[in-house]
Amino acid sequence: MRLKWYYPIIGALVALLIVMPFDWFPGHYTTLMIFIAINTMVTVGLCLLLGYTGQVSLGHAAFYGIGAYFSAILSKTYSLNPWLAMLIAAIATGAFAYVIGYPIFRLKGNYLAVATLCLGVILYILFRQLGQFTGGPDGISGIPYLSIGGFVFDSSFKRYFLVWFFCLSVLFISQNIVNSRTGRALRAIHGSEDAAESIGINVDRFKVKIFVLSAVYASLAGSLFAHHVTHVSPSTFSPMASVIVVVMAVIGGLASIWGAIFGAGTVVTLKYEVLLEFGELEIVIYGLILMLVMIFMPAGLFVWLKELYERLRLRRVRRRAET
Amino acid sequence: MSQLILETRELSKAFGGLIAVDKVDMAIDSDKITAIIGPNGAGKTTLFNLITGVYPATGGDIFLNGKSLKRIPVHKRVSLGIARTFQNALLFGNMTALENIMTGLHSRSSYGFLEAALRLPKAHREEEDIMLKATKYLNLVGLGTNARQNALSLPLGQQKLLAIARALATEPRLILLDEPGAGLNTLEKRELSDLIHRIRDMGISVILVEHDMPLVMGIAERIIVLDTGKKIAEGTAAEIQKDPKVIAAYLGEDED
Repeated sequence: MRLKWYYPIIGALVALLIVMPFDWFPGHYTTLMIFIAINTMVTVGLCLLLGYTGQVSLGHAAFYGIGAYFSAILSKTYSLNPWLAMLIAAIATGAFAYVIGYPIFRLKGNYLAVATLCLGVILYILFRQLGQFTGGPDGISGIPYLSIGGFVFDSSFKRYFLVWFFCLSVLFISQNIVNSRTGRALRAIHGSEDAAESIGINVDRFKVKIFVLSAVYASLAGSLFAHHVTHVSPSTFSPMASVIVVVMAVIGGLASIWGAIFGAGTVVTLKYEVLLEFGELEIVIYGLILMLVMIFMPAGLFVWLKELYERLRLRRVRRRAET
Repeated sequence: MSQLILETRELSKAFGGLIAVDKVDMAIDSDKITAIIGPNGAGKTTLFNLITGVYPATGGDIFLNGKSLKRIPVHKRVSLGIARTFQNALLFGNMTALENIMTGLHSRSSYGFLEAALRLPKAHREEEDIMLKATKYLNLVGLGTNARQNALSLPLGQQKLLAIARALATEPRLILLDEPGAGLNTLEKRELSDLIHRIRDMGISVILVEHDMPLVMGIAERIIVLDTGKKIAEGTAAEIQKDPKVIAAYLGEDED
């Protein structure tokens, strides 16, 4: 493996991640960081689907919700082992995505966007209306914590490490997929479906596969959310939440796996630290951010900053060359 | 003793009322460079799309080495040995030149999602093999030094060569080249003819659709002429040039 310039930066970030939740670290960002990790998992899935494969989904909160509700219902109502509940949730979400994947990917572009948006709306209505399972608008409370053997993840400090373990695993797996035969097939589909098909890539199958993978990521994130907050209600999985996932993916840079942390980090921090004061205006601000990013930094904030760094370095070198 | 690689029998394709390909019978020898020519709208590209499976035929059948291709989807025909290029190169703009060819090796490798996700040894082995073969094809078309360049940053002539290399990477028995000479300058066209000869010498059958007559007459050992979906003539360059039907199709017939 070749050494890249950003490896030390990643190293420093990982070190920071490890020390952040300790008491002696200034501020208390543990909860915030947990939400960043959970949202990163959903965002990475969308990056694979939208950024690499070029297929839009405006309904990813639906899969996030299916994961959360399956975990909640199975572990609370049916007292199943939370890990087993999480596994069943992931399999169920994957199967659901697989079944709807084939018909939905007959559509392209705007039509696909509308279809996935509808998917999100339908699931949201189901979460609200299937009261006997989902608890209706009130949702489900008292979801048990995850535990390994006798070790219960009953504090944010403990869950922090659990959630980031999942998040980094998902990022690692995604990075490997991108740099593989499968990743090239996905990018080829983005480049030209006709050309991809002409060199033997089964375009439909790869679209569905990556859709299923991203749905499973969202489902795992949903399960972790349920066992962290111990309460789920429909509003978390509204169609608006799907749009926010797109905002995170766009800010992070659509075709950038590690950018997902950056995108999720920016949006989650804004949401909990700044925008809470703005109430309804929150949505307007997201829209504004999305527009500005698309116009001025179409490759995403993360990539934009990286290029800015390169530009500044170049300018410095030039100036030195002149003197 | 030459052998048939591809055969079509009464192959037809209608788009609604428009008959784009009309009962075309062709027999393509495996060791000859075959050119398909004809005026605009003659059905040449449609014929390619039928052979590669982009469109289903509305009549007739296609045989590769004697086996019918009916109901075999595009991506499976590639593993059977049919490769193609497009009029506009259709390279993957989000990749380097080398990655474009590596993608071409897709159907000749097999490791899947799980092996990729966990970087299992099989993935590692196949990746090395893919990289090696891709470099070989890149060198074959003389783009070895452009490996890490973005595919779309190359000049058009090199893009077209790269597209051919990508098609060759699928390790075909038959390659269909759709107007490979379009937009190339004289020097690039000479390189192209050299390359086509080399492809033939590798034991790969070549069929090309081309408008550039000097190029066609220079390399094609057999020429098939289409007009308004029908095959109107077939033969060597010398035979075709004398054929009154071909002259009529290209220049128009006398009024009286």
